[in-house]
Amino acid sequence: MRFVIIGAGRVGLRTARVLREEGHDLTLIEQDEAKIGRAERESFTVVAGDGSRESTLEDAGVESADAVGALTGDLNVNFTACMIANHYGCRTIMRIDEAYREEIYRKYADEVDEVVYPERLGAIGAKNALLGGTIRAIADVAPNLQIVELTVTPEAPTNGYTMGELELPADATILAHGKRDRSLEIPSPDESLEIGDRLVVLADFDVLSDVRQLVVGETPTQAAANAGSGGVN
Amino acid sequence: MVTAFVMVKANTGEADRLKTEMEAIEGVDSAHIVAGDVDIIAKAQVDTPASVKEIAATQIQDIDGVEGTQTYIAMD
Repeated sequence: MRFVIIGAGRVGLRTARVLREEGHDLTLIEQDEAKIGRAERESFTVVAGDGSRESTLEDAGVESADAVGALTGDLNVNFTACMIANHYGCRTIMRIDEAYREEIYRKYADEVDEVVYPERLGAIGAKNALLGGTIRAIADVAPNLQIVELTVTPEAPTNGYTMGELELPADATILAHGKRDRSLEIPSPDESLEIGDRLVVLADFDVLSDVRQLVVGETPTQAAANAGSGGVN
Repeated sequence: MVTAFVMVKANTGEADRLKTEMEAIEGVDSAHIVAGDVDIIAKAQVDTPASVKEIAATQIQDIDGVEGTQTYIAMD
């Protein structure tokens, strides 16, 4: 796919690296000389200029882009760039600087398809590192829905069940199952659930602590204590 | 008559409620949810500069979810 990324700072440049690694074609837009130099040394195509101006976006090839990521630290630039990109039929992704703004832009800004708050993603990583071990938050997919990866422990009530026998609360769905030391796969009902296996579960916050008790074997007290820290907001 | 624009920074995603509460304040003509560094801009039309202070510093600041305001008085 072809992308235009506005902002070659810590968020934009990292995004560009990941997209390039996956084989996508992209152009960066940046104003700051030092940041332009850094991106060019990494062999990125950089258009120098203001990403909130239509002419700059045109120079970067917005007409042929599939999506535009407005990832600068300036909300006005990001929103204006999304408005223009939307006009060109691109999918638009806007970076915000405060979590509460996510709701506002989702509700009022039709020009913006997705809102990203980098600090939240950083918090997920930091939380996973701090908790270590058996529970890993992967993503918040909605204010009340989270995807978590859980590792089966010897204390887990479901240790030894088959996937077919495993019953989770109504508002929880198993997305993937990985045997110990193997990669994650689509769950199969005949596979057994053993110590060290991982389950990726999509669950409502309300049932997350129940899911933890079943799969990880947390005591109800531990599960309740951890449930409060389930979100990364 | 004094016209003033109050830039409001929120700390909540409930922009609708803030807008409604601001528009209910006497002297506030309209309030708009905006994109950018502030979240809402309210326009006030009152008799005296002191009333601008009353609206911005007291009434708007008292709304739950308002983090801060910055007020501009129109010169024309």
